[in-house]
This record gives sequence, C-alpha cells and structure tokens, in this order.
Amino acid sequence: MMNSLTIKIKRYDGEKTWYQSYILPYEKGRTILWSLTTIRETLDSTLVYTSACQHGICGSCAIKVNGKSFLACQTPLDKVIETFQTTELIYEPLANFTVIRDLAVAWEPKMAKMKKIKPWLIPTEEGSEEKGFLQSNEDFHKIASSTDCILCGICASECNQLHVNESNFLEPFIWNRAYRYAVDSRDKSPEAHVGPAYENELWKCLHCMACVTNCPKHIDLTEEISSLRKMSIRMGETKNQGARHAFAFFNDVKNNGHLNEMMLPIKTDGVIKTAATKLPFALRMIKTGKINPLERPKKVDGIEGVQKIYDYAEEVENK
Amino acid sequence: MTTFRYGFFPGCTLESAEKELKMSTLKVAEALEIELIELKGWTCCGASHIQDIDELVGTSINARNIALGEALHVDKIITVCNTCTLMLRQSKKKLDERKELRDKVNEGLSRANLKYKGTTEVTHLLWALIEDYGLENLKKKVVRPLTGLKVANFYGCHILMPPKIMGFENPANPQSMEMIVDVLGAENVPFSQRLACCGFHAVFPAEKEVNRLTQMNCLSPKEAGADCLVTPCPLCQMQLDAYQPGAQKGFDKDIQIPVLHLPQLIGLALGISPKELGIKRHIVDALPMLRARALV
Repeated sequence: MMNSLTIKIKRYDGEKTWYQSYILPYEKGRTILWSLTTIRETLDSTLVYTSACQHGICGSCAIKVNGKSFLACQTPLDKVIETFQTTELIYEPLANFTVIRDLAVAWEPKMAKMKKIKPWLIPTEEGSEEKGFLQSNEDFHKIASSTDCILCGICASECNQLHVNESNFLEPFIWNRAYRYAVDSRDKSPEAHVGPAYENELWKCLHCMACVTNCPKHIDLTEEISSLRKMSIRMGETKNQGARHAFAFFNDVKNNGHLNEMMLPIKTDGVIKTAATKLPFALRMIKTGKINPLERPKKVDGIEGVQKIYDYAEEVENK
Repeated sequence: MTTFRYGFFPGCTLESAEKELKMSTLKVAEALEIELIELKGWTCCGASHIQDIDELVGTSINARNIALGEALHVDKIITVCNTCTLMLRQSKKKLDERKELRDKVNEGLSRANLKYKGTTEVTHLLWALIEDYGLENLKKKVVRPLTGLKVANFYGCHILMPPKIMGFENPANPQSMEMIVDVLGAENVPFSQRLACCGFHAVFPAEKEVNRLTQMNCLSPKEAGADCLVTPCPLCQMQLDAYQPGAQKGFDKDIQIPVLHLPQLIGLALGISPKELGIKRHIVDALPMLRARALV
C-alpha cells in the first residue's frame, strides 16, 4: 500500500541547477498537475511551472517525469507510478527547450523558428471577408487532425533528432504546422510552406516514432513528415540524399524485390562522394565478410507480380 | 506437445550484411523446435523509406508479403527486425481498418494472383518467445547459463513505437528484453540510452547527428559497466557495430563495445557454438569478451 510519493524536481533559478525533494501523501486518482499545485500551495511557493486550462487544451503544463514527457493536467499519477514501478518520481523541464526557471521553458525561440514555414493561410482569390471562406467537408478533414495541435512541446521534447541536432532541424509541431497549411484547400501557395520545411532539414527526421507515440492529441506527425517529403519531391527537390535514398529502395524493390545494400551508398551519395567518405567503412565490411562486393541480389520469385502491383499503383495515382 | 510454426519474413539485411542474424535465428529455432517456413518470394518491407515516395506502393508490397504468409496457413508471420515488424504491422492495421483501401490494394494484388485476407498476424521473435513459446520453456532449454555476462539491452524504436501499431508493451518502460536476459542467466545493466534511437534510417542525410547518437549509445552502456550491447533489431546492430569505428574517430572517450543480435545471445545459452551463430561476423569482435567471461 502506497502512503506517500517522493517527488524530486529539477530546479533552476537562472544561475544554478539542483534537485529538490518533496514528499506528498499518495491520493488515488490525482494528476501530475495536482502534485505540482499541492507542492506550490503547501510546501514551496518558489516552485515555478506553467499551467492554465487544466483540461488538455492550452498545452502549457507539459513536463518530463522519469525521463518521459507528459501533459501534467491529463496524466494520472497512478499511470506514471505503474509505468515506472516506483513512487519516486523525478520532474524535469521539457528537453530541447531553453529553461527559464524550474519547469518553465521558453517558447519565443520556437515561435521565431516556426515563422520560417509561414504558419498562416496564404488565401486563394475564392474567399473574401464578405463571402467568408468555405471549405468542403472532405477538405476540412484533411486538416482536422493537424489543427488539434495545442503546442504543448511534448513532440519536441521527445524528438531524437533534436537531441543531437545543432543546426536547423524543425520541431515536430512545426512540421505539423507546415503540413497543415500546405494541404489546406484555401491556401494558394503550398510551396511557400513546403519549401522552407525542405530547406530546414526535412530529410533528417530519424523516423523513430517518438513524436507520434507521445502526442497527447494523437496527431500522426510521421505521416505528415512523409507527406511533406512527397510534396517536396513533386516540387522538384529530388537531388538530395534523403530523396535519392528513398528512391533507391523504391526502385530496388521494383527491379529485384530485395534491397541491393552494396549499391545503396552509391545510389544515395554518388560514386565520388562514396569513394571519398565510405571507403574505410566499406573495407571493414568486406574484411569481416559482412558484404561481398561480387554478390548481387537475385530477383525474387514472383517479381513480375511485384512489378504489376507497382504499375497498378501508378495507374491509380494518374487517375 | 504444442508445435510452434511460423511464416518467416527475414528482411533484406539478413540476406546481406547481417547474414549472421539469419544463421543464428535458424539455429535457435532449430534448438527450440520452432518451425520457420520462409515466405517464398518476399520483398523488402519498404524499410521506412518507400512511403516517402509512394504510400500505396508501400502498403501494397506489404499486403503482398502478408498474403504470402496467409497462403502458408500459419497463425503468424515472424520477423527478427524491428523495422520489418513495424512496416508489416502498419500496413496490416491500415488494411484491416480501412475496407476501401483494402479493396484498392487487393485490386493491385489480384494482378499478381494474390489476395490479402487479414487472417495472419505479424510478430517478432522477442514477443513470440514470451507470449507463444513461454519463458519457462525457454529456461528448460538453457544448457550454458550466461552467468556473469553483463548485458545492456538496446531495444530500438520500432519494436516499441508507436504502441497503437506495436502494442506489445509500454514503450516508456519495456521489460521484454530484460525478461529474456534473466532467463538466459545473464545480468541486465541499466544505462541511460536503453531506449534511445540508433539513427540508422537517416544515416545518410543526418550523418553527423547519427554519428553523435552512436557515440552516446556505445559510451553509455560501457560506462554503466556492460560487457556488450544486445539488440532485437539488425538495423540497430549495424548502426552500433559497423558504424562504431567511424563514431570513435575523433571522439576522446573509448566507446568500444561488442554488439550482439538477440538470437546470438540466446544461442550461446542454448549451447550453440559462436561459429554457428556467426559471432565472428561483427566489426567489433565479441569473442575476446566472451572468452574472458569463459562463455566460449
């Protein structure tokens, strides 16, 4: 029987960082946000965190608990106790954000970054202030899920690329925003959103699925990133490592069924770059017998059937 | 006695750079009396790339792969690759939930005289050993407990996420690998990068960042005192092992650590020789460590 919770909070006063422990009585059915409020109201009025609506709408109360990000108002303490099998909980601010104080993080730099993808509607001539801007049910459903984003920052906190990226990679919620305007039937300029997305390292997403897994609004961010990549290809952005790598898989399956691993670096990077950068790697692989330069994948049984399936998909898309 | 019979989907890496995973999987299955029937004519699962070119092709090739398994009248198709598992299950979920899509895909498959019915599940060896074979039964087969071996389990993302498709265990704190390692008699070593991403799927466009991930993913278990990393995914294995010397270059801390495939670790405990498990086929040689632990 649990009687109490030990909550260790990562504190930051603008200069130094430390962990501070608080003991709270265990009460069934309480949320993470309840623990924060109770600590501030009864134990330590100096604790800084943000929250407002308490209903999973404003997106301001996300924090990390035992290394994973949660929306504090919507997450029962019982759930995190069960997940981590402990009543010792460690609260930290979201990762991949600048910390202002304790659990409060800065959004201004993220919003400045978001402006790059023009997070606003670039209207077609069909709508006006007088007429309004009608959209069909079908067209609305294309953006319905992506407009659910509450900017809680959990996707960014969990993003494995952002953990190691020191340049321009965009936060998943920014990819979502680029997608949301690019597919909006009322927007006349999808490329104005897709272009900057492409230029800000669209192909560096690791496809790890951490954003999709942790989004409290269940937005399929990985599928949106995939759609942005397809749109960038349609805009003509095919001469890059990401697109060439994906085309190598696409064509290998069509031609043989299996991937030709030996040729993959050359198809992705070209002969010259591969020779310059991948030679030590290739020699190590050959030396241990991991790859055999003379081996070519054989066509799989039924490859004609695979090619007919490709032809069919092409017909469907051309319709 | 219950018979264990699966349609086997090896995936491309098992035919080339990660041949040792196919060797060790087949040896382990034989020792455990699990029948693996390789799907005839299987293709690449799309490896998380083909949907970026054409989503319908991505779903259709996996509908075809699953249909090949359905024709074998097995309950489940089994894989030993995280990404293959995710790609197959993702397609299956879409096909099972969206009739319109299933009809469209089946029209394409009909040109290859195939039909996706949705009668066969897709699983991974790690899951099958726990939910089908049973840990107690696995324990009975252990002839050489891996006593003293300190193992760091590197799960890889795609065996856990997203849970709406994978769903075997809680991705925030999975335990399946630890349960297997316990049964084999080895010791689980906690380390900070246990649930990290290996970065393999973006190793070309994000070379610098993925290199950094490899440094962290190898250093963290080493500093935690592990003898080796073990992973249920050949792509994680390739990233952590084959790219390790490149990641070491220019990094001031020693990150050298052997990386084993899960079936290789199981095979050792079942008394299968390192040669039969292809343990010599790694870039970072695991044999000196295994000899030092008197396990070979």
